[in-house]
Amino acid sequence: MPDIWGIATILAKLGLYIGFTGSTGLVIVSCLYSGVVAPINLGIKRQARALGWLALAATVVGFMLRGAALTGGVDGMVDPEMLGLLWQTSVGEVLVYRLVGAVMILVGLSVPRVGLPIALLGGTVALWSFAQIGHVPELESFGVQLLLLLHLLSVAFWVGIFSPLRSMALTPEHLTDAAELGHRFGQTAALVVPALIGAGLWIAWLIVGSLQGLLFTGYGRALLLKVFLVALLMILAAANKLRLVPAMQSGKARAARHLARSIEVEAIVVLVVLATTATLTSVLTLPN
Amino acid sequence: MKKIIMLALMAALPSGVLAHSKVEETTPANGATITTVPAEIGLNFSKDIRLTRIEMAHEKHSAVSLDLGDQTSFGQEFTIPLPSNGTGTYVIEWRGLGEDGHAMQGEFSFTVE
Repeated sequence: MPDIWGIATILAKLGLYIGFTGSTGLVIVSCLYSGVVAPINLGIKRQARALGWLALAATVVGFMLRGAALTGGVDGMVDPEMLGLLWQTSVGEVLVYRLVGAVMILVGLSVPRVGLPIALLGGTVALWSFAQIGHVPELESFGVQLLLLLHLLSVAFWVGIFSPLRSMALTPEHLTDAAELGHRFGQTAALVVPALIGAGLWIAWLIVGSLQGLLFTGYGRALLLKVFLVALLMILAAANKLRLVPAMQSGKARAARHLARSIEVEAIVVLVVLATTATLTSVLTLPN
Repeated sequence: MKKIIMLALMAALPSGVLAHSKVEETTPANGATITTVPAEIGLNFSKDIRLTRIEMAHEKHSAVSLDLGDQTSFGQEFTIPLPSNGTGTYVIEWRGLGEDGHAMQGEFSFTVE
Protein backbone atom coordinates (compact mmCIF):
# COMPACT_ATOMS: atom_id res chain seq x y z
CA MET A 1 0.00 0.00 0.00
CA PRO A 2 1.22 3.55 -0.66
CA ASP A 3 2.10 5.61 2.42
CA ILE A 4 0.03 8.58 3.59
CA TRP A 5 1.78 10.91 1.09
CA GLY A 6 1.10 8.46 -1.71
CA ILE A 7 -2.62 8.36 -0.81
CA ALA A 8 -2.78 12.16 -0.44
CA THR A 9 -1.10 12.49 -3.86
CA ILE A 10 -3.72 10.19 -5.42
CA LEU A 11 -6.55 12.22 -3.85
CA ALA A 12 -5.02 15.51 -5.07
CA LYS A 13 -4.69 14.01 -8.53
CA LEU A 14 -8.32 12.89 -8.39
CA GLY A 15 -9.26 16.51 -7.53
CA LEU A 16 -7.14 17.64 -10.47
CA TYR A 17 -8.90 15.24 -12.86
CA ILE A 18 -12.38 16.15 -11.63
CA GLY A 19 -11.57 19.88 -11.66
CA PHE A 20 -10.01 20.07 -15.11
CA THR A 21 -12.17 17.52 -16.97
CA GLY A 22 -15.34 18.86 -15.31
CA SER A 23 -14.69 22.56 -15.92
CA THR A 24 -13.34 22.02 -19.46
CA GLY A 25 -16.24 19.67 -20.22
CA LEU A 26 -18.83 22.22 -19.10
CA VAL A 27 -17.13 24.84 -21.30
CA ILE A 28 -17.18 22.43 -24.27
CA VAL A 29 -20.89 21.71 -23.71
CA SER A 30 -21.62 25.46 -23.43
CA CYS A 31 -19.81 26.04 -26.74
CA LEU A 32 -21.34 23.12 -28.65
CA TYR A 33 -24.93 23.36 -27.41
CA SER A 34 -25.20 27.03 -26.47
CA GLY A 35 -28.78 27.35 -27.75
CA VAL A 36 -30.14 24.27 -25.96
CA VAL A 37 -28.44 24.89 -22.60
CA ALA A 38 -29.20 28.63 -22.57
CA PRO A 39 -31.88 28.29 -19.82
CA ILE A 40 -29.32 26.86 -17.37
CA ASN A 41 -26.30 28.83 -18.57
CA LEU A 42 -25.78 30.62 -15.26
CA GLY A 43 -25.77 27.33 -13.34
CA ILE A 44 -23.29 25.81 -15.80
CA LYS A 45 -20.93 28.77 -15.41
CA ARG A 46 -21.21 28.62 -11.61
CA GLN A 47 -20.34 24.90 -11.60
CA ALA A 48 -17.51 25.35 -14.11
CA ARG A 49 -16.04 28.12 -11.93
CA ALA A 50 -16.24 25.92 -8.80
CA LEU A 51 -14.51 23.09 -10.67
CA GLY A 52 -11.90 25.55 -11.98
CA TRP A 53 -11.12 26.59 -8.41
CA LEU A 54 -10.92 22.90 -7.41
CA ALA A 55 -8.45 22.34 -10.25
CA LEU A 56 -6.36 25.34 -9.16
CA ALA A 57 -6.31 24.21 -5.51
CA ALA A 58 -5.50 20.60 -6.46
CA THR A 59 -2.66 21.88 -8.70
CA VAL A 60 -1.04 23.79 -5.83
CA VAL A 61 -1.66 21.13 -3.17
CA GLY A 62 -0.50 18.36 -5.55
CA PHE A 63 2.78 20.20 -6.16
CA MET A 64 3.33 20.71 -2.42
CA LEU A 65 2.52 17.04 -1.72
CA ARG A 66 5.27 16.04 -4.11
CA GLY A 67 7.61 17.99 -1.84
CA ALA A 68 6.30 16.04 1.16
CA ALA A 69 6.89 12.77 -0.69
CA LEU A 70 10.55 13.74 -1.03
CA THR A 71 11.09 14.24 2.71
CA GLY A 72 8.48 11.88 4.12
CA GLY A 73 7.09 14.67 6.32
CA VAL A 74 4.76 17.63 6.18
CA ASP A 75 7.82 19.93 6.26
CA GLY A 76 8.52 18.96 2.65
CA MET A 77 5.37 20.77 1.50
CA VAL A 78 7.02 24.13 2.18
CA ASP A 79 10.69 23.13 1.98
CA PRO A 80 12.25 25.57 -0.55
CA GLU A 81 15.01 23.09 -1.42
CA MET A 82 12.52 20.29 -2.26
CA LEU A 83 10.08 22.55 -4.12
CA GLY A 84 13.01 24.17 -5.99
CA LEU A 85 14.24 20.71 -6.95
CA LEU A 86 10.80 19.77 -8.29
CA TRP A 87 10.58 23.08 -10.15
CA GLN A 88 13.65 22.09 -12.21
CA THR A 89 12.04 18.85 -13.46
CA SER A 90 9.00 18.28 -15.68
CA VAL A 91 6.89 18.72 -12.51
CA GLY A 92 7.69 22.46 -12.60
CA GLU A 93 6.82 22.70 -16.30
CA VAL A 94 3.51 20.94 -15.70
CA LEU A 95 2.76 23.23 -12.75
CA VAL A 96 3.03 26.24 -15.09
CA TYR A 97 0.70 24.66 -17.69
CA ARG A 98 -1.90 23.89 -15.02
CA LEU A 99 -1.73 27.26 -13.28
CA VAL A 100 -2.03 29.09 -16.61
CA GLY A 101 -4.84 26.72 -17.70
CA ALA A 102 -6.83 27.11 -14.47
CA VAL A 103 -6.48 30.90 -14.47
CA MET A 104 -7.57 31.08 -18.13
CA ILE A 105 -10.63 28.93 -17.31
CA LEU A 106 -11.57 31.17 -14.37
CA VAL A 107 -10.93 34.42 -16.24
CA GLY A 108 -12.71 33.12 -19.36
CA LEU A 109 -15.78 32.21 -17.35
CA SER A 110 -15.94 35.73 -15.93
CA VAL A 111 -15.65 37.56 -19.26
CA PRO A 112 -18.89 37.96 -21.22
CA ARG A 113 -19.10 36.97 -24.93
CA VAL A 114 -15.40 36.28 -25.75
CA GLY A 115 -14.80 34.43 -22.47
CA LEU A 116 -15.73 30.89 -23.54
CA PRO A 117 -12.94 30.49 -26.15
CA ILE A 118 -10.43 31.71 -23.54
CA ALA A 119 -11.75 29.17 -21.04
CA LEU A 120 -11.67 26.43 -23.70
CA LEU A 121 -8.08 27.25 -24.58
CA GLY A 122 -7.22 27.24 -20.86
CA GLY A 123 -8.81 23.81 -20.43
CA THR A 124 -6.86 22.49 -23.41
CA VAL A 125 -3.58 23.89 -22.04
CA ALA A 126 -4.29 22.27 -18.67
CA LEU A 127 -5.20 18.90 -20.23
CA TRP A 128 -2.07 19.09 -22.41
CA SER A 129 -0.05 19.14 -19.17
CA PHE A 130 -1.05 15.52 -18.53
CA ALA A 131 0.79 14.55 -21.73
CA GLN A 132 3.96 16.22 -20.42
CA ILE A 133 4.50 14.05 -17.36
CA GLY A 134 4.14 10.42 -16.34
CA HIS A 135 4.40 7.39 -18.55
CA VAL A 136 3.34 8.88 -21.91
CA PRO A 137 6.34 11.27 -22.44
CA GLU A 138 8.62 8.26 -21.82
CA LEU A 139 7.35 6.92 -25.17
CA GLU A 140 8.99 9.98 -26.78
CA SER A 141 6.30 10.44 -29.40
CA PHE A 142 4.54 13.75 -30.05
CA GLY A 143 1.76 11.82 -31.82
CA VAL A 144 1.02 9.78 -28.69
CA GLN A 145 0.96 12.98 -26.61
CA LEU A 146 -1.59 14.44 -29.04
CA LEU A 147 -3.56 11.20 -28.81
CA LEU A 148 -3.65 11.56 -25.02
CA LEU A 149 -4.89 15.14 -25.39
CA LEU A 150 -7.64 13.91 -27.71
CA HIS A 151 -8.51 11.20 -25.16
CA LEU A 152 -8.70 13.75 -22.33
CA LEU A 153 -10.76 16.26 -24.33
CA SER A 154 -13.19 13.42 -25.13
CA VAL A 155 -13.35 12.47 -21.45
CA ALA A 156 -14.03 16.12 -20.60
CA PHE A 157 -16.80 16.30 -23.20
CA TRP A 158 -18.46 13.19 -21.72
CA VAL A 159 -18.06 14.37 -18.11
CA GLY A 160 -19.26 17.85 -19.06
CA ILE A 161 -22.67 16.68 -20.21
CA PHE A 162 -23.60 14.99 -16.92
CA SER A 163 -24.73 17.97 -14.87
CA PRO A 164 -26.50 20.03 -17.58
CA LEU A 165 -28.39 17.01 -18.94
CA ARG A 166 -29.35 15.77 -15.47
CA SER A 167 -30.43 19.22 -14.36
CA MET A 168 -32.61 19.74 -17.46
CA ALA A 169 -34.04 16.22 -17.29
CA LEU A 170 -35.19 16.85 -13.71
CA THR A 171 -37.01 20.07 -14.64
CA PRO A 172 -40.38 19.26 -16.29
CA GLU A 173 -40.54 22.57 -18.21
CA HIS A 174 -37.16 21.77 -19.81
CA LEU A 175 -38.16 18.27 -20.95
CA THR A 176 -38.11 19.14 -24.67
CA ASP A 177 -34.72 20.87 -24.38
CA ALA A 178 -33.37 17.97 -22.31
CA ALA A 179 -34.50 15.50 -25.02
CA GLU A 180 -32.86 17.68 -27.68
CA LEU A 181 -29.63 17.98 -25.65
CA GLY A 182 -29.59 14.20 -25.03
CA HIS A 183 -30.19 13.54 -28.72
CA ARG A 184 -27.50 15.92 -29.97
CA PHE A 185 -25.01 14.70 -27.35
CA GLY A 186 -25.75 11.10 -28.44
CA GLN A 187 -24.99 11.99 -32.06
CA THR A 188 -21.65 13.63 -31.20
CA ALA A 189 -20.76 10.93 -28.65
CA ALA A 190 -21.23 8.25 -31.32
CA LEU A 191 -18.10 9.71 -32.94
CA VAL A 192 -16.24 10.96 -29.87
CA VAL A 193 -16.59 7.94 -27.57
CA PRO A 194 -15.09 5.38 -30.00
CA ALA A 195 -12.19 7.85 -30.50
CA LEU A 196 -11.84 8.16 -26.71
CA ILE A 197 -11.77 4.39 -26.20
CA GLY A 198 -9.58 3.71 -29.25
CA ALA A 199 -7.02 6.31 -28.17
CA GLY A 200 -7.09 5.03 -24.56
CA LEU A 201 -6.57 1.40 -25.57
CA TRP A 202 -3.80 2.29 -27.99
CA ILE A 203 -1.89 4.34 -25.40
CA ALA A 204 -2.42 1.58 -22.80
CA TRP A 205 -1.03 -1.02 -25.17
CA LEU A 206 2.01 1.16 -25.97
CA ILE A 207 2.67 1.53 -22.24
CA VAL A 208 2.01 -2.04 -21.09
CA GLY A 209 3.27 -3.76 -24.23
CA SER A 210 2.39 -7.38 -23.45
CA LEU A 211 -0.48 -9.60 -22.41
CA GLN A 212 1.63 -10.81 -19.49
CA GLY A 213 2.09 -7.24 -18.27
CA LEU A 214 -1.64 -6.73 -18.51
CA LEU A 215 -2.61 -9.85 -16.58
CA PHE A 216 0.12 -10.27 -13.98
CA THR A 217 1.07 -6.78 -12.77
CA GLY A 218 -0.76 -4.34 -10.50
CA TYR A 219 -0.60 -1.75 -13.27
CA GLY A 220 -2.08 -4.12 -15.84
CA ARG A 221 -4.86 -5.24 -13.51
CA ALA A 222 -5.79 -1.67 -12.61
CA LEU A 223 -5.92 -0.96 -16.33
CA LEU A 224 -8.23 -3.94 -16.86
CA LEU A 225 -10.47 -2.63 -14.05
CA LYS A 226 -10.64 0.69 -15.91
CA VAL A 227 -11.55 -1.05 -19.18
CA PHE A 228 -14.27 -3.07 -17.38
CA LEU A 229 -15.74 0.11 -15.86
CA VAL A 230 -15.72 1.89 -19.22
CA ALA A 231 -17.52 -1.11 -20.74
CA LEU A 232 -20.13 -0.69 -17.97
CA LEU A 233 -20.43 3.00 -18.88
CA MET A 234 -20.94 2.09 -22.52
CA ILE A 235 -23.90 -0.14 -21.61
CA LEU A 236 -25.48 2.69 -19.61
CA ALA A 237 -24.78 5.23 -22.36
CA ALA A 238 -26.23 2.93 -25.02
CA ALA A 239 -29.42 2.46 -22.95
CA ASN A 240 -29.69 6.25 -22.55
CA LYS A 241 -29.23 6.88 -26.27
CA LEU A 242 -31.41 4.08 -27.59
CA ARG A 243 -34.26 3.97 -25.03
CA LEU A 244 -34.46 6.91 -22.64
CA VAL A 245 -33.72 9.83 -24.99
CA PRO A 246 -36.20 8.61 -27.68
CA ALA A 247 -38.82 8.18 -24.91
CA MET A 248 -38.13 11.74 -23.73
CA GLN A 249 -38.52 12.99 -27.30
CA SER A 250 -42.00 11.43 -27.16
CA GLY A 251 -42.70 13.56 -24.10
CA LYS A 252 -42.38 10.90 -21.39
CA ALA A 253 -41.35 12.68 -18.18
CA ARG A 254 -40.70 9.34 -16.44
CA ALA A 255 -37.94 8.55 -18.95
CA ALA A 256 -36.32 11.89 -18.06
CA ARG A 257 -36.26 10.92 -14.37
CA HIS A 258 -34.70 7.56 -15.31
CA LEU A 259 -32.12 9.38 -17.41
CA ALA A 260 -31.21 11.58 -14.42
CA ARG A 261 -30.72 8.44 -12.25
CA SER A 262 -28.69 6.81 -15.01
CA ILE A 263 -26.44 9.89 -15.24
CA GLU A 264 -25.87 9.75 -11.46
CA VAL A 265 -24.73 6.12 -11.74
CA GLU A 266 -22.54 7.05 -14.73
CA ALA A 267 -20.95 9.86 -12.70
CA ILE A 268 -20.11 7.44 -9.86
CA VAL A 269 -18.56 4.97 -12.31
CA VAL A 270 -16.56 7.81 -13.90
CA LEU A 271 -15.36 8.81 -10.41
CA VAL A 272 -14.03 5.27 -9.90
CA VAL A 273 -12.43 5.33 -13.38
CA LEU A 274 -10.68 8.61 -12.50
CA ALA A 275 -9.57 7.23 -9.11
CA THR A 276 -8.16 4.17 -10.88
CA THR A 277 -6.35 6.43 -13.34
CA ALA A 278 -4.95 8.55 -10.50
CA THR A 279 -3.58 5.34 -8.95
CA LEU A 280 -2.24 4.05 -12.26
CA THR A 281 -0.32 7.23 -12.87
CA SER A 282 0.89 7.71 -9.31
CA VAL A 283 1.89 4.59 -7.46
CA LEU A 284 1.68 1.49 -9.61
CA THR A 285 4.83 0.27 -11.26
CA LEU A 286 4.84 -0.23 -14.99
CA PRO A 287 5.46 -3.77 -16.15
CA ASN A 288 9.10 -4.19 -17.24
CA MET B 1 -24.72 5.13 -1.55
CA LYS B 2 -21.75 6.59 0.38
CA LYS B 3 -20.63 3.07 1.33
CA ILE B 4 -20.80 1.98 -2.29
CA ILE B 5 -18.66 4.97 -3.34
CA MET B 6 -16.13 4.26 -0.57
CA LEU B 7 -15.93 0.55 -1.50
CA ALA B 8 -15.59 1.44 -5.18
CA LEU B 9 -12.80 3.92 -4.42
CA MET B 10 -11.00 1.37 -2.23
CA ALA B 11 -11.29 -1.21 -5.00
CA ALA B 12 -9.76 1.33 -7.34
CA LEU B 13 -6.73 1.70 -5.09
CA PRO B 14 -5.16 -1.73 -5.49
CA SER B 15 -2.19 -2.58 -3.33
CA GLY B 16 1.01 -2.26 -5.26
CA VAL B 17 4.59 -1.33 -4.85
CA LEU B 18 5.48 2.32 -4.98
CA ALA B 19 6.39 3.51 -8.40
CA HIS B 20 9.85 3.66 -9.81
CA SER B 21 11.57 2.59 -6.56
CA LYS B 22 14.13 0.49 -8.32
CA VAL B 23 17.28 0.24 -6.29
CA GLU B 24 19.53 -2.28 -8.02
CA GLU B 25 21.94 -3.04 -5.23
CA THR B 26 22.57 -2.00 -1.65
CA THR B 27 25.63 -2.42 0.57
CA PRO B 28 25.13 -4.32 2.81
CA ALA B 29 22.60 -6.36 0.83
CA ASN B 30 18.97 -6.31 1.94
CA GLY B 31 18.45 -8.97 4.64
CA ALA B 32 22.19 -9.61 5.09
CA THR B 33 23.70 -10.63 8.42
CA ILE B 34 27.18 -9.26 9.08
CA THR B 35 29.57 -9.26 12.03
CA THR B 36 30.69 -5.63 12.21
CA VAL B 37 28.82 -2.37 11.75
CA PRO B 38 29.81 -0.95 8.33
CA ALA B 39 31.32 2.54 8.29
CA GLU B 40 29.11 3.44 5.34
CA ILE B 41 26.19 2.14 3.33
CA GLY B 42 25.87 2.11 -0.45
CA LEU B 43 22.93 2.48 -2.81
CA ASN B 44 23.08 1.76 -6.54
CA PHE B 45 20.13 2.76 -8.73
CA SER B 46 19.20 1.71 -12.24
CA LYS B 47 18.58 5.33 -13.29
CA ASP B 48 19.76 8.73 -12.11
CA ILE B 49 18.06 9.97 -8.97
CA ARG B 50 18.59 12.80 -6.52
CA LEU B 51 18.53 11.46 -2.95
CA THR B 52 16.52 13.75 -0.69
CA ARG B 53 16.34 11.91 2.63
CA ILE B 54 17.87 8.83 4.26
CA GLU B 55 16.79 7.61 7.68
CA MET B 56 18.29 4.92 9.81
CA ALA B 57 16.20 3.07 12.38
CA HIS B 58 17.79 0.69 14.88
CA GLU B 59 15.93 -1.62 17.20
CA LYS B 60 17.36 0.09 20.31
CA HIS B 61 17.28 3.69 19.06
CA SER B 62 14.78 6.00 17.42
CA ALA B 63 15.12 6.80 13.71
CA VAL B 64 17.71 9.39 12.73
CA SER B 65 18.37 11.23 9.48
CA LEU B 66 21.69 10.42 7.85
CA ASP B 67 23.88 13.17 6.46
CA LEU B 68 23.94 13.17 2.65
CA GLY B 69 27.05 15.36 2.69
CA ASP B 70 27.75 16.79 -0.74
CA GLN B 71 25.78 14.08 -2.54
CA THR B 72 23.06 16.50 -3.54
CA SER B 73 23.06 16.03 -7.28
CA PHE B 74 21.56 13.43 -9.60
CA GLY B 75 23.46 10.17 -9.78
CA GLN B 76 23.23 6.40 -9.64
CA GLU B 77 25.70 5.50 -6.90
CA PHE B 78 25.63 6.90 -3.38
CA THR B 79 27.78 6.16 -0.34
CA ILE B 80 26.53 7.44 3.00
CA PRO B 81 28.45 7.36 6.33
CA LEU B 82 26.66 5.22 8.92
CA PRO B 83 26.83 5.91 12.68
CA SER B 84 27.28 2.76 14.76
CA ASN B 85 24.57 1.66 17.14
CA GLY B 86 26.15 -1.70 17.90
CA THR B 87 24.59 -5.06 17.22
CA GLY B 88 21.01 -5.42 16.09
CA THR B 89 18.86 -4.82 13.02
CA TYR B 90 19.31 -1.63 11.03
CA VAL B 91 16.52 -0.42 8.75
CA ILE B 92 17.48 2.18 6.14
CA GLU B 93 14.69 4.14 4.48
CA TRP B 94 15.54 6.34 1.52
CA ARG B 95 13.62 8.88 -0.55
CA GLY B 96 14.56 10.62 -3.75
CA LEU B 97 13.49 12.29 -6.96
CA GLY B 98 13.80 10.71 -10.38
CA GLU B 99 14.88 12.89 -13.31
CA ASP B 100 11.36 12.52 -14.71
CA GLY B 101 9.96 14.19 -11.58
CA HIS B 102 8.72 11.00 -9.93
CA ALA B 103 9.16 10.74 -6.18
CA MET B 104 10.87 7.48 -5.27
CA GLN B 105 11.27 5.64 -2.00
CA GLY B 106 12.34 2.32 -0.61
CA GLU B 107 14.02 0.62 2.32
CA PHE B 108 16.40 -2.17 3.12
CA SER B 109 17.61 -3.77 6.31
CA PHE B 110 20.56 -5.72 7.61
CA THR B 111 21.55 -7.27 10.92
CA VAL B 112 24.80 -6.95 12.83
CA GLU B 113 25.49 -9.88 15.15
